[in-house]
Amino acid sequence: MTEHQQAAVAGGRRSAWREIVADFSRDVRTYPFGWSKAMMWIFILSDLFVFGGFLAAYAGARMAATQPWPDRGHVFSLTIGGAEVPLLLIAIMTFILISSSGTVALSVAASHERNRSKTAALLGLTLVLGACFLGMQAYEWTHLIHEGFLPSSNPAGASQFGATFFMITGFHGTHVVIGLIFLARVLLRVLRGYYDRIGTWEQVEVAGLYWHFVDLVWVFIFAFIYLI
Amino acid sequence: MATPAAAAHAAHEHHEPQSFWRKYVFSLDHKVIGIQYTVTALAVGAIGLVLSWLMRLQLGFPGAVGAVNPTNYYQFMTYHGLIMVVYLQTAILLGGFGNYLIPLMIGARDMAYPTLNMLSYWTYLLSVILLLAGYFVPGGPSGGSWVLYPPQSITAGTPGSGLGITLLLASIAVFVVSATMGGLNYITTVLQMRTRGMTLMRMPLTVWGVFISAVVALLSFPPLFVAGVMLLFDHLLGTSFFIPTVNVLGTVLPHEGGSPLLFQHLFWFFGHPEVYVVILPAMGIISDVMATHARKPIFGYKAMIVSMAAIGVISFIVWAHHMFASGMNPFFGYIFAATTLVVAIPSAMKTYNWLLTLWKGSIRFTTPMLFTIGFVSTFVIGGLTGLFLGNVAVDLPLHDTYFVVGHFHLVMGVSAILAMFAGIYHWFPKVTGRMMNETLGKIHFFVTFLGAYLVFFPMFLMGFQGIPRRYFSFDLVAFAPSGLDAVNAMVTVAALAVGAAQLVFVANIVWSAVRGREADANPWQANTLEWQTPQIRPGHGNWGPKLPEVYRWPYDYSVPGAARDFIPQNEPEVAVVSPAAGPEPEGAGR
Amino acid sequence: MHGHADHVDHSEHQAHLPVGVYLRVWFMLFILSAVSYFVDYFQVEPLPLRWVLIVLLALIKAALIMNYFMHLGSERLSLVYTILLPPVLILALAAIVIAEGSYISMIRALFGG
Ligand code: HEM
Ligand SMILES: [Cu+2]
Repeated sequence: MTEHQQAAVAGGRRSAWREIVADFSRDVRTYPFGWSKAMMWIFILSDLFVFGGFLAAYAGARMAATQPWPDRGHVFSLTIGGAEVPLLLIAIMTFILISSSGTVALSVAASHERNRSKTAALLGLTLVLGACFLGMQAYEWTHLIHEGFLPSSNPAGASQFGATFFMITGFHGTHVVIGLIFLARVLLRVLRGYYDRIGTWEQVEVAGLYWHFVDLVWVFIFAFIYLI
Repeated sequence: MATPAAAAHAAHEHHEPQSFWRKYVFSLDHKVIGIQYTVTALAVGAIGLVLSWLMRLQLGFPGAVGAVNPTNYYQFMTYHGLIMVVYLQTAILLGGFGNYLIPLMIGARDMAYPTLNMLSYWTYLLSVILLLAGYFVPGGPSGGSWVLYPPQSITAGTPGSGLGITLLLASIAVFVVSATMGGLNYITTVLQMRTRGMTLMRMPLTVWGVFISAVVALLSFPPLFVAGVMLLFDHLLGTSFFIPTVNVLGTVLPHEGGSPLLFQHLFWFFGHPEVYVVILPAMGIISDVMATHARKPIFGYKAMIVSMAAIGVISFIVWAHHMFASGMNPFFGYIFAATTLVVAIPSAMKTYNWLLTLWKGSIRFTTPMLFTIGFVSTFVIGGLTGLFLGNVAVDLPLHDTYFVVGHFHLVMGVSAILAMFAGIYHWFPKVTGRMMNETLGKIHFFVTFLGAYLVFFPMFLMGFQGIPRRYFSFDLVAFAPSGLDAVNAMVTVAALAVGAAQLVFVANIVWSAVRGREADANPWQANTLEWQTPQIRPGHGNWGPKLPEVYRWPYDYSVPGAARDFIPQNEPEVAVVSPAAGPEPEGAGR
Repeated sequence: MHGHADHVDHSEHQAHLPVGVYLRVWFMLFILSAVSYFVDYFQVEPLPLRWVLIVLLALIKAALIMNYFMHLGSERLSLVYTILLPPVLILALAAIVIAEGSYISMIRALFGG
């Protein structure tokens, strides 16, 4: 590994070109970590294209739509004490998902210290936050459907709004569910001491990467679907 | 690496007895999975071939096969196109060759994540089952053509616009999942699991081809998945992503404001890179087979890699050349015609490299070599006609004529199939330990190669006459020239002959697998690692107790002064093998 | 058997961020989300400025998550470029699809449909 660092540090600065060439000219392996982390990064890149495709299609459908696009501030508002607060639920959901990303980051940091109880506790907290997010999304969906919003039509303008909304948040929600299952499995393995037995805790980091990615996608969904 | 994969390896090194199911059906061994992929793909491909006969019979001898009518002509066409492009070629070149060859050629024990690899095959099989299920549902399979353009693919009046298209879209989505699982493995394995000494710039071009192709697949299939899901929504939930206000057979559909062009953009963002997903591994196979049988180093090894990578990148920004006639924003024509012509440069570079590899080689005209030379020929003809179609002004009159059918069949249909055959003849001794019969192989080659030209070359001329594609019959085409019927009949006879030649191939495979001459360990005297395994047909784990170590690139053929005309990659610089080679490099950081 | 070597190799390379960094990034993400929320709440005018602000804030948030939470900043540049360059291609698709959408809406305004 020192070889890695020597190649990387040229006069205190990273020499970008030399570092990249060094990695891609090496035998055995290109990236200095196990295959599962490499595979997760590549998967994230591919999944980014899925969400990118969905969001691009959303933009295209919205631009071509013949009916006006509904006012999201109004559609997603909650009424509190008689006053209508736009996007309140979404703001709370965003808050929760960002927090869960933070707890997973701390959990990964604890896993580097091989601190079993701290890693597990933070993973557990992440699971709780993720479940809250899902619960609120379910509430949001039923609320909307109750008000007459469907994939095929809505009372507030272009039908493509309901269609893209349910499709994209639904696909994101599916990712959250998969993430929760993944994290739960890792949590069990941490508790059982599995990673100490096999000698690497890399899977905690891999699961963390996936979860951050789900959060990352939400950042763009929040911006493009709810705000813009 | 103490990962599940390594754990599995450790288990195998103890030679645990394995049940039949574990060994041949739910196997984790990349070689078994590769063979499963190959056999399944060839079986589905046979269906695609039979469908092409039925279409050709109708076109050559209208009415001769009474069972063919306009409805099922469209269904045959749709299934033929999709089966050939996706379920045969993509599956066999990535899933078949990729699985079998990557670990052997880079000196790994298996793929990075064998369980995912096995799942990839089983989801592929599921997608095939979903596809074929279309023939058993009311309304029959979809007849929306392989591009599935809405609105017609999901509106009444198109065959199979009910359950048929639902199953087809589901099948495509499942296929994307399968290809993603496979692709993740191929890429990760190439990047992280090479043996000692195997740098990227010492990898055989086959591995490079599969690797770049897997990258392209991983990034281009997502938009197809997106388009498929959205079309399913339009079809099942009544959304209007792609469906504008339409009046079908007198009823106004409950859709408004959708954009059919949106689907076309998403589809072709997948569709164009897809042809490179197929052709890149084919190019790799061709390069390796050619160097081996011409006993010469491949000409311009680095240029080959650079051009493959360039093709991979540029293939993502040319997609709208399929839409010149679609009514899209006319300004896009400038951009996409320009990028399309640029992609010809690396392709031409590769062709020159192949020709210069053949130049003054001591060529052995074995069956795989014949297929390789055939590939170069069809690829050139198909590629040159592609340049015609890349220009907006030329494409507009030729679009949707037989010129297009001739072009894509030669450049990706025939070329990739020839490369696939070259690969099968070349690696058959590795897989079965027996040689394929050369005489039958040569009959297979000459009938297929010459037949393919007889089938597809006249189509260019038909295209210049404006004969439209996707027509069941030309009776009512007023401008059809008088000779058309005779040409069509000739083409059909040639197509049937090509089909018959494939029976020779199947017979050769079956016969050779049982009775063929026994092969020695390295029958073609090749340099690549897969021929240097301790056993001719290696078990799970490939390399016995010690991984090979690589000292040179794979193209040291006819090196002046060397004892033999080939030097395998794992032969040290000094001809003495040091007994104290280091420990296995797998995962042990350097 | 190689597991231990794997880990050592890995942790040597991994820059360990102090817990404080995570908390600060977390806090920043809240602030940025709140700012983009209020950009919308007060309906900042003109419209293009509002959109630019929202996209910019989203990009900063994404950069924070990738750099600190996903540790991309302390990874080898070979990985960084592998992840950051290809998305240009999907942006190309988005750009063309958006241009096409506005072309379609223009055609529709002109000819109906
Ligand atoms: C002997 C071999 C083959 C014959 C005789 C053949 C024949 C045909 C025929 C008659 C059509 C319909 C043309 C029309 O009606 O417009 C067709 C379409 C097509 N074929 Fe083939 N084909 C063969 C091999 C292949 C292969 C290997 C591929 C793989 C790329 C392929 C891909 C396609 C595609 C993509 C279409 C278009 C389907 C559509 O329009 O939706 N074919 N072929
Ligand atoms: Cu194309």
